[in-house]
Amino acid sequence: MIWQIDLMVLTLIVFCAFSAVMVKDLLSAAIIFGAYSFLMCLLWTEMGAVDVAFTEAAVGAGVSTIFMIAAIFRTSRSVKHRSRGRRFYKLIGFFAAAVTGMVLLYGQSDFPGWADPNSPASSHLSPYFITHTISDTAVPNIVTSVLADYRGFDTMFETAVIFTAGIAVIFVLRQYRRDQTDVAGTDEVAYQSPIIQTVSRQMVPFIQLFALYVVAHGHHSPGGGFQGGVILGASFILVGLSYDLRSVLKKMGEGPNIIFGNLGVFLYAGIGAVCILLGANFLDYSVLSRILPATDSVMARSHGILGVEIGVAIAVMAIMIAIYVNISSHGKYDKGL
Amino acid sequence: MDVIIASYNYWIYILLMMIGLYAMLSKNNLVKKIIGMSIFQAAIIVFYVSIGAKRGATIPIIEHGHGHGAAEHAVNVMNYVNPLPHVLMLTAIVVSVSTLGVALAIILGIHRRYGTVEEDEIMEKIQ
Amino acid sequence: MISPEQYPVLIVVIPLLSAFIINVIGWFRKGFSYPLIVLSLIITFYLSVSTLLQVVDGGAISYRLGGWPPPFGIEYVIDHLNALVLVVISFVSLAAAVFSKESVKKELPDRIPQYYTLFILLVTGLLGMTITGDAFNLYVLIEIAALTSYALIAFGRDRALVSSFNYVIMGTVGASFYLLGVGHLYIMTGSLNMGDLLSILPAISGSRAIFVAFLLIIVGIWTKMAFFPLHGWLPNAYTYAPTATGVLVAPLMTKVSVYIMIRLMFSVFSADYVFNTLNVHDIIVWMAVAAIIGGSLLALTQTDFRRMLTYLIVAEVGYMVGGVWLANSAGITGAILHILNDALMTLCLFLVAGIIYHKTRGHHLDDIRGLYRKMPFTMAAFTVGALSMIGVPPTVGFFSKWYLILGAIDAGQWGFMAALIISSLINAVLFFKVIEVGYFEPMHGHHDDGHHEVTIDEAPFSMLAPLYVIAVSLIVVGIYTSSIITNIIAHAVPKGL
Repeated sequence: MIWQIDLMVLTLIVFCAFSAVMVKDLLSAAIIFGAYSFLMCLLWTEMGAVDVAFTEAAVGAGVSTIFMIAAIFRTSRSVKHRSRGRRFYKLIGFFAAAVTGMVLLYGQSDFPGWADPNSPASSHLSPYFITHTISDTAVPNIVTSVLADYRGFDTMFETAVIFTAGIAVIFVLRQYRRDQTDVAGTDEVAYQSPIIQTVSRQMVPFIQLFALYVVAHGHHSPGGGFQGGVILGASFILVGLSYDLRSVLKKMGEGPNIIFGNLGVFLYAGIGAVCILLGANFLDYSVLSRILPATDSVMARSHGILGVEIGVAIAVMAIMIAIYVNISSHGKYDKGL
Repeated sequence: MDVIIASYNYWIYILLMMIGLYAMLSKNNLVKKIIGMSIFQAAIIVFYVSIGAKRGATIPIIEHGHGHGAAEHAVNVMNYVNPLPHVLMLTAIVVSVSTLGVALAIILGIHRRYGTVEEDEIMEKIQ
Repeated sequence: MISPEQYPVLIVVIPLLSAFIINVIGWFRKGFSYPLIVLSLIITFYLSVSTLLQVVDGGAISYRLGGWPPPFGIEYVIDHLNALVLVVISFVSLAAAVFSKESVKKELPDRIPQYYTLFILLVTGLLGMTITGDAFNLYVLIEIAALTSYALIAFGRDRALVSSFNYVIMGTVGASFYLLGVGHLYIMTGSLNMGDLLSILPAISGSRAIFVAFLLIIVGIWTKMAFFPLHGWLPNAYTYAPTATGVLVAPLMTKVSVYIMIRLMFSVFSADYVFNTLNVHDIIVWMAVAAIIGGSLLALTQTDFRRMLTYLIVAEVGYMVGGVWLANSAGITGAILHILNDALMTLCLFLVAGIIYHKTRGHHLDDIRGLYRKMPFTMAAFTVGALSMIGVPPTVGFFSKWYLILGAIDAGQWGFMAALIISSLINAVLFFKVIEVGYFEPMHGHHDDGHHEVTIDEAPFSMLAPLYVIAVSLIVVGIYTSSIITNIIAHAVPKGL
């Protein structure tokens, strides 16, 4: 906790947020938004939330920005200036923001101070997790054990949220028929740089290896299924950006991708259901010791966590690819950006 | 000074929320609204992570040696930040990227049908 | 076999798992999606009914997910209130799924498996929202239900995409406010479990942060349920949605949000806090009056049948919110009973609107002309739904209104009582107008532009069967109202009001 850095980064964040909203060029806005996310990573690392920072780096500063840029590329880049007619909306927005701000400020006056070790949040539930994680689950990374075990049910639905988003994007955008006219119709072939292509091709295997490490080593270091899955998906997106979409689809076709997406979440929920079949409650991994060789109930929890993290990684990878492919090709699965 | 340090994080998150909310409700361009929405959601994450901060504590990974039994020594709660808000915010980040994806898909659909992403032009075309 | 102790979690897990099965099998064989979704919803319905019976016999059930004791793990708590709502959700969604066969085939022929995957994920989200005993778990499930409904609405007609986008914005604001409110509770108490929060909060009930938490949560939920000043997103979204989506979303989304409001008011903040410490119920009852009158009057000005129904939903939300904030047991009984009744009535009317759209490709009032002669069975069921909406005795609509009026008299809220009566009169005018158009006016020359002549006849069996089950249940539930109240709802009303 270094409060000087905290103050500095927070001030920069406000600048970024303000300019992302105000700037007229949407591409700049998206890039500034990426910077905003990246500053958030710094802030969270500074507050000790390394897992959140890692996720934000992969999701917020990484794929979110790419999704936004892809969407801007597919629509229009500039914001038309409006001098009249928006006054009503501006007034509503200003009023809502002002009221919300005042209410929140009113409530804030009662908060325990920032980083107070004796605040209720730090003294009610969290000591249990900190002191019991090793003896309950043998996982030193408390965030992983709380994420995948104590609150594993949340995480299952979090994966289901990602899955839902993927299916929703496919549902809204996918064009099965060829005859639909496209207003955006951009048909020029983008310039493809051989340098970028070569470098990306060299990097992809290492990125994927790193992603697997992040998934596998989530018990002991920051990271886990989400971060690893996003990085795996990003490696495919990199191929799509430096080459074109067809080379992604050659590696990961539409059908296999959907099956991977389903399989990942199914693996998570399936492990939970196996626990029921073995006579325990849903997601109570300790009972897995009966079918896993040479494990006691504590190590069974550890292995159960690894199993669901792998499921999360598969699902997140597939869905990230699906969202990118659909947004960048307008649901046509052709050449992409 | 102590008052400022104790509350600065909360003031900033309130400010970020106001910026995001204003953009969501007032901007004419749909992509701008979505950027506002993401700022708004990130502001909430700032709030939660700030709850988890703890003075004099380190990241929530129990210090452990190599091999089994190395981590058997007693764990002092004061040494580790509160992990629970981090877990909740991992979920919130994932939710926000999901919402972003769906919202962008809808924007692309709107652009396909109306040829614009400016709200007033869309409204003119509907009438 | 699986013991009944596991039923609570299976209610949520069975639809979730079948979402993946439907998606994968549907990718290869589109035709299997429909039987699979019906099958899994039948199982879900069976599980929720037997859970309700367990609760009625033995009181509230608690289920520990992952085997962790609350408040450290996530807990499911099923008491009389949410057991009833679970049955309503699984029943309504089963009827909607059975109904959807023909309309999905016609409106979304090339994306049937995706549609049904999203459909059942939405049901999963609603069931999970209802059953959970954890404030943050509730947020995650709210988002699942929200994301699916954005997509399900987006693929409708005309301006569906634009209204879906507005729904994304408003839905995200609502859910984020809820999340922020939970954050305020967390910073003040350190807990997320509803039961645990209920035991901690009285000690700090004077805190400003708790008041702000309450405000944020309530405003967030109101945005989700389209309570009057925040209702702007609802009419367009529900009018232009695909038929099968409207049939599922319109009866359930607002009702589940009302349930969430009741749950949070009484199981997190306690009745004592919301009614005695805060003392805001007069204002909220007057807002409900505005919702009822405003919704009814706006409905009166519509010329599109389905759009008219969406404004009636806004008015009905006013009934329920007002009933809860009357702060006495008759009012709350009426509000809870109305969750059940209104879900059935809205479903009945949206099924009729869906059939009319399926047959005439429109749901303007003009499209209804002469339909009593062409589709006598459909319109007979419509008449039952309309009578229930007006509040004519043996139908369910009468009983919940009766309790709401009793509650209004008890609380001395004459404005609310007047609003209920005025709204019933407006409903009578509205529905008799529709009946008049359908019964007396001659058949309209259908679709002069038509490249193919539409011959209107009675709807197929897969549409009529759920409609008739619902129409009959409007009367049967009405007859058994008193036993529903004594066995279930009476236990759900907080003691000592």
